[in-house]
Amino acid sequence: MKRLIELSINGETCELAVEPNATLSEVIRDQVGLTGTKVACGTGECGTCTVLIDGRPILSCLTLAVDCQQQAILTVEGLSEGETLTPVQQAFHDCGAIQCGFCTPGMVLSTTALLKANPRPSTTEIQKALEGHLCRCTGYNKILEAVQQAAAAVVPKARQKT
Amino acid sequence: MATMHLPKFEHICPSSIEEAAQLLGRHGADARLTAGGTDLFPRMKQGLTRPEVVISLKGLAIDTPRVSRNGDLHINALMPLADIARSSEVLEKVPMLAEAIVCVGSNQIRHMGTLGGNICLENRCTYYNQSHSFQFVEPCFKRSGDCCYLIPKGKKCVAVFAADTAPALICLDAKVEIIAADGSRQLPVEKLYTGDAIQPLALSQDEIISEVIIANPQAVRGTAFTKFSLRGGVEFAGLTVAVCLEMANGAGTCAAARITAGAVSAGPVRAVKAEKAIAGETLSDKLFQKIAEMAAGEIRPVMHHGYSVPFLRECLKVQTYRTLVMAAKRTGHNREN
Repeated sequence: MKRLIELSINGETCELAVEPNATLSEVIRDQVGLTGTKVACGTGECGTCTVLIDGRPILSCLTLAVDCQQQAILTVEGLSEGETLTPVQQAFHDCGAIQCGFCTPGMVLSTTALLKANPRPSTTEIQKALEGHLCRCTGYNKILEAVQQAAAAVVPKARQKT
Repeated sequence: MATMHLPKFEHICPSSIEEAAQLLGRHGADARLTAGGTDLFPRMKQGLTRPEVVISLKGLAIDTPRVSRNGDLHINALMPLADIARSSEVLEKVPMLAEAIVCVGSNQIRHMGTLGGNICLENRCTYYNQSHSFQFVEPCFKRSGDCCYLIPKGKKCVAVFAADTAPALICLDAKVEIIAADGSRQLPVEKLYTGDAIQPLALSQDEIISEVIIANPQAVRGTAFTKFSLRGGVEFAGLTVAVCLEMANGAGTCAAARITAGAVSAGPVRAVKAEKAIAGETLSDKLFQKIAEMAAGEIRPVMHHGYSVPFLRECLKVQTYRTLVMAAKRTGHNREN
């Protein structure tokens, strides 16, 4: 039986009727219509469905939508403001860390979470944070470069503020 | 393959762990618990388990790790692995646990998965964890059938227990607090595993692990955990080894040791003979080589995930040696060569 729930997605509250077995990725894509979140394996191996819940990178294909109430869900659509990209998105764009773009929403969100917790990550820390994302195009080097460039772009800005 | 959907089920959110235990008791084998969901939901999508009721522990409050008056460390079983690995209490008191946690799954899985869930990870096998719809007709032992696809003439299931944190917790002599429908009990983590691949956990239907308790170390010790896997990330273990060396006062002599291997059989296994042989000895490279050979001799790994028995034995020897060397360095005593 469907249940009425409220989800906060990208700062907006959505009232939804969902089945208990509906995963967050299914609800975000099919009911809310935000198709930036991709689904490939559906079993937690590829990381394409990653979204941030209260700032944590989680796999939306293995999360029940009914379990996500009263939590702040952030998908890739919630990152940029209009046409202004975030430093992470800009860095992925500049470094050519995108080819087909299927893994990119997840990668960008995991990178956003990483840089918030650790603004100056080492290469090993970046690899560890992104180990749950598969990319079949780029060979990962450009993604690493993009994360490093994003870190370099984020840190001076943070310093300017203080 | 078409995108996999979860089968239908009833979803219940209890307001306490005691209520969850009562619900488990009431629904029996039809119910499954979920906290992180990273182990249960893939298995449900693959049709390996079809619970009618899913009891979600996600809404329950989680305390941060705390040190009790006697110095024991208490960790809430519902705490996400990523938070435990970052906890200052854990890093200070039991760095080996953080070392093991960092090896679990991926960053996302560590943010979702809990310590209790990892300890209770379902056993795995190359065949059982494949999608069955296109591969097999007859179910294997683990799917209530009467054959094994890994060992065709085998008489029992050989699915391995591959959780990374369990060998570390056994070396740290950790206990679990178990809440049941009608009370609670404590059990050493080591006793949690039956060694039977079909029913790997010594928990009854209505029991839930609520807390992991790690005793305050009484002596200077060195600990280390290593994991072998082919790709090194987002992969279940080919083999894990955890070592804890407790030192005698002052000298570079080992008073007691624990060596535990994971992903070698239906449960984690201690190398008891090797542990006895190291007690009372002065730590040295020669000793570690001997101990590693003993450990590889007494633990009998089963073939799994494409690794043959001779390969796993050799791997066990090499890895035990390396883990012993790491643990010895961390005791703070220089070993003789």
